[in-house]
Amino acid sequence: MTLDAEHCITCGDVAVTGTVVEVAGVTATVEVDGARELVGIELVEPVAVGERLLCHAGIALEKVAP
Amino acid sequence: MKYVDEFRSGELAKALVHELDGLVEPGRALKVMEVCGGHTHAIYKHGLEDLVPPEIDFVHGPGCPVCVIPMGRVDDAIALAERPEVIFTTFGDMMRVPGGRGSLLEAKARGADVRMVYSPLDALELARRNPDREVIFFAIGFETTAPATAITLLRARADGVPNFSAFCNHVTIGPPLKAILDSPGLQLDAFIAPGHVSTVVGTRPYDFIARDYGKPVVVTAFEPIDILHATVMLARQLREGRCEVENQYTRVVRRDGNPRALAVLAETMELRDTFEWRGLGWIERSALKLRPGFAEWDAEARFELPGTRIEDPRACQCGEVLIGAIKPWECKVFGTACTPERPIGTCMVSSEGACAAYYNYGRLARRRDRVPA
Repeated sequence: MTLDAEHCITCGDVAVTGTVVEVAGVTATVEVDGARELVGIELVEPVAVGERLLCHAGIALEKVAP
Repeated sequence: MKYVDEFRSGELAKALVHELDGLVEPGRALKVMEVCGGHTHAIYKHGLEDLVPPEIDFVHGPGCPVCVIPMGRVDDAIALAERPEVIFTTFGDMMRVPGGRGSLLEAKARGADVRMVYSPLDALELARRNPDREVIFFAIGFETTAPATAITLLRARADGVPNFSAFCNHVTIGPPLKAILDSPGLQLDAFIAPGHVSTVVGTRPYDFIARDYGKPVVVTAFEPIDILHATVMLARQLREGRCEVENQYTRVVRRDGNPRALAVLAETMELRDTFEWRGLGWIERSALKLRPGFAEWDAEARFELPGTRIEDPRACQCGEVLIGAIKPWECKVFGTACTPERPIGTCMVSSEGACAAYYNYGRLARRRDRVPA
């Protein structure tokens, strides 16, 4: 979820898509462009490794259609 | 990169622009409001204004949460941050927003413990690690960001973290759109609705725009092909005499949004009677506050706030920019007294703000001759 300087986190419309690499409880590790981040998955459970999630401010908002 | 490269294809863009050429009526302006600051940013970044037929006039809307926060709320945030027991956490974008008493960045320079976080969950973690301090999160943003605050509140309650609280400034997308549609003399033909807000709320909240105001709406994402495709869809609706809410962003947005996200919002927050929006004034039932059941984690309930209302600087025309009444370059102080380095108005602070986007990508001399409305 590394955001470049052009983007504003407050505006939810810079949410990014990440691929799930690990799931532990209500937290998933997602990979975005090579970087790994932890996101809460309460809103999209259950998730599986390999699924793509739209993530914003540390939370997965939705699954992205394959 | 998947989901990026295919939405930046030059060939696709050319085909869409060609289609758009055939749909617009030569000489008749088509005013399309892109509600979201993310769209404004993308339109300038990718030069879409210069790509589309001159009849298409992108009007920049109020969907930048940083831009619409009134100065008094920034002062309230600074008052919280200056309390000695407080670690005040905020998204980085809010750091430079000027209030009546300067910005959070200036408060930090004076000694306040202000820290940038990427997520409210980071603020909760900070509270766990600093049990002797009060950690307050500056909760701001539309329905895209509010679920992260809601999840954090639920975790704070479940884990019994007593020294975390949220200063809630979350706002909702529907009421400001209605306020704009009710503005006298405003000429708009259609709306590009925000993609990620719609991931949470779905497309139903825009139904009233098509039904009651007769304006087509297309929900779309943030890549140039998405925005051009949405513009084609709007022009096609107008050409065919249709007026509907359509969804271009089908890869994540559903008609009903994310019901679980809406449920956590409803569990933790409720509508305020009224809230002040910069440029739009007071709008009824347009913002969220924490429910009484979460008073223990509500900074407004736990700490005294000055709550003063501050007039915008006289030179600043952010209000007119935010409702699309003027273009950024038409503001008296744009690019002279007001720049991203020393902003007077919020539209120049946020990178998603229309003024900053225009300044950064359009510079000062790229004004286009537009077809008169």
